[in-house]
Amino acid sequence: MLRKGILLGLACVMLMGLVVFAQEPVTIEFWHSMSSGHQPYLVDLVNKFMEEYPYITVNLTYQGGYGDTEDKVEASVVAGTPPTMVQLYENVITPLVEVLYPIGPHMTQAEKDDILDGLVPNNTFDGVLVSVPWNKSIMVLYYRSDLIATPPTTWEEFAIMAADLTVDVDGDGVIDRYGTGLRPYNPELFLNYLIQNGGTILNDDWSAVTIGDQKGVEAMQYAESLVPSSYISSGYLSDAVGQDLVAMFVDTSAGYYYNHKAAVDNGFELACARVPAGPVNNSSAIQGTNLVVFDMGQTQAQKDAAVLLARFLIRPENTVAWSLRGGYLPVVKSAYENQDWLDFLADNPDYVVMSEAMIDGFAQILHPNYGLMRGAIGSAFEEVILAASSAVDAMANLVLDLTDLLEY
Amino acid sequence: MRRKLRIPDHWKYRTFWLESGQAYLYLFPAFLILAVFTFYPFFSAFRLSLYKWSAIHPPGTYVGLGNYAKIFADRHFWNAVWNTFYYVAISVPVTLFLALLVANLLNKPLRMRAFARTSFFLAYITPLVAVAMVWSWMYDWRYGVLNYLLGFLGIDLINWLMDPKFAMLAVIIMSVWRFVGYQAIILLAGLQNIDQMYYDAAKVDGASPFRTWWHVTIPLLTPQIFFVFIMSMIGSFKVFTEIYVLFSGQPGPLKSAETLVYYILRIGRFDGNLLGRAAAASIFLFAVIFAFTLIQLFFTQRKVHYQ
Repeated sequence: MLRKGILLGLACVMLMGLVVFAQEPVTIEFWHSMSSGHQPYLVDLVNKFMEEYPYITVNLTYQGGYGDTEDKVEASVVAGTPPTMVQLYENVITPLVEVLYPIGPHMTQAEKDDILDGLVPNNTFDGVLVSVPWNKSIMVLYYRSDLIATPPTTWEEFAIMAADLTVDVDGDGVIDRYGTGLRPYNPELFLNYLIQNGGTILNDDWSAVTIGDQKGVEAMQYAESLVPSSYISSGYLSDAVGQDLVAMFVDTSAGYYYNHKAAVDNGFELACARVPAGPVNNSSAIQGTNLVVFDMGQTQAQKDAAVLLARFLIRPENTVAWSLRGGYLPVVKSAYENQDWLDFLADNPDYVVMSEAMIDGFAQILHPNYGLMRGAIGSAFEEVILAASSAVDAMANLVLDLTDLLEY
Repeated sequence: MRRKLRIPDHWKYRTFWLESGQAYLYLFPAFLILAVFTFYPFFSAFRLSLYKWSAIHPPGTYVGLGNYAKIFADRHFWNAVWNTFYYVAISVPVTLFLALLVANLLNKPLRMRAFARTSFFLAYITPLVAVAMVWSWMYDWRYGVLNYLLGFLGIDLINWLMDPKFAMLAVIIMSVWRFVGYQAIILLAGLQNIDQMYYDAAKVDGASPFRTWWHVTIPLLTPQIFFVFIMSMIGSFKVFTEIYVLFSGQPGPLKSAETLVYYILRIGRFDGNLLGRAAAASIFLFAVIFAFTLIQLFFTQRKVHYQ
């Protein structure tokens, strides 16, 4: 009996030792770009994570805007001392894949299947889920519900309604309110038109530029046709809404707070709808960053801890908490059935639209030069919107610019 | 017959070596700072311009002059070159001319002269970002004070920040306003150093005020004019912040205000990661500034008069 007790005691001690060994303290660096507005919510989530995994300490460090963070990450990679975890855009991830620790192979199949379909390709490199989506927003149609009873659902309806709503109220020859508003440099808006028309930027293996084909030209011509009914401003269109200058416009869901506030503060009503559908679909652009884990001098314990944090942050309840407080949209399917999210939708019908759009949205391509390609697309769009070039000519020049950027 | 090598006499003295050593010792910190923050980055940029950049395997793949060929074939690069020259060609002489007028004015026995000098200088010491933001409001198409004032002259509304024809002009106007006071103060210092005897002599000779200004003031002010001209030209070739703030992080409508520095930052930092091409454009900009400075040195030094 005594011998059994001693053996049991020894076994318990060994087991405890194993547990202690498995939970050896580990510290990871998490670089992010969430400024004062969003930072408290991220801190709360990370604190919750550290409560659940008390042996992990997360040093959360704000690195400035996305561009600043990218610069610092690049400098740290050159120095061979990158942080354990960072939030980055897809095209920034592509040239770094070689030194990243893929998160996907350390997730359960159920977790991987739960990620929104539109967000899987832009986190997958050579068939492996390397990163996971994090703070995401989507483009939707904002419309003055005090002027528009039923929002347009197709390109044609949108164009007709925009023309009808462009009015010179006092008859002085100056348009007082435009049917829609356009920011000249708006690559995502053009990409909406392109994808909705069945077009693509590049072919599958990135060996050729396809944006200049018939579908691309038609997409640009559609944008061109909207110019006479558009208030054109380089600033955010929330200002124009507040000044009663536009009746409807397409913008990111991340701008919801500002657009809504500008309208309400000036006595107008603003609502959201899906972007009008093109000939092929009504998919719209998803924007935002993803989480990556570095494998460049990090210990196995650090990489494991970072993977745990990434998995934790995209759990349904956490992506919902992040979205509710941070203004983004959940990145996993099950989050859209989460009771907190459903309760939120019941009180905020505009977010129903955003949720629906998110399910079938499209994300950016992974080409390392996508940043410059995006810039070139924005410039071509700008040339057309400012009537400096025809849609056909702008697309021809765009093809030349993108061809120069194919090589990486 | 071979000449025999002769050691200079002063090399034989210990004091020469001590004094020289001391001088180099004093120069060493400045040289170190220059070496680390100026010479090394310059040579590093030149080396980088010959590579296709890779952060993982820096500096990347050697491409020779490939980056130069790429930027020379890029229409946006030439657009940036044109915009930069346009900015320099207008802003430098206009600022200098206005600064000369202001300096002459401030040199007169005016009431509240100290206040006027401070006011002109205030534009220069105010943070550029704040200045650019205020100007962006003044340039506002519908509500800006500039269009309001132009309205009194019967001039139609100008969309300063959205019309490609006026975007660079908007940058130039703001820039001229900002630097006139600074240049005027430097020129004023020069004016006050001109000996009164030259003016007395001109008066005795019966010279008119304009002839005195043209034949006495201007020649004796050439050291300051030359300094201001060179420095403002170098600064103007590197214009960036004004554009970045005035156009909310964009290079103006249709890239109408994209200068070379903006182009370098856009392809190497804002939109992309083509550091090799960005370095090649930087070397090009250096060569342009260097060439222009040499030309200025050559032509203007002949005209500089010292008292």
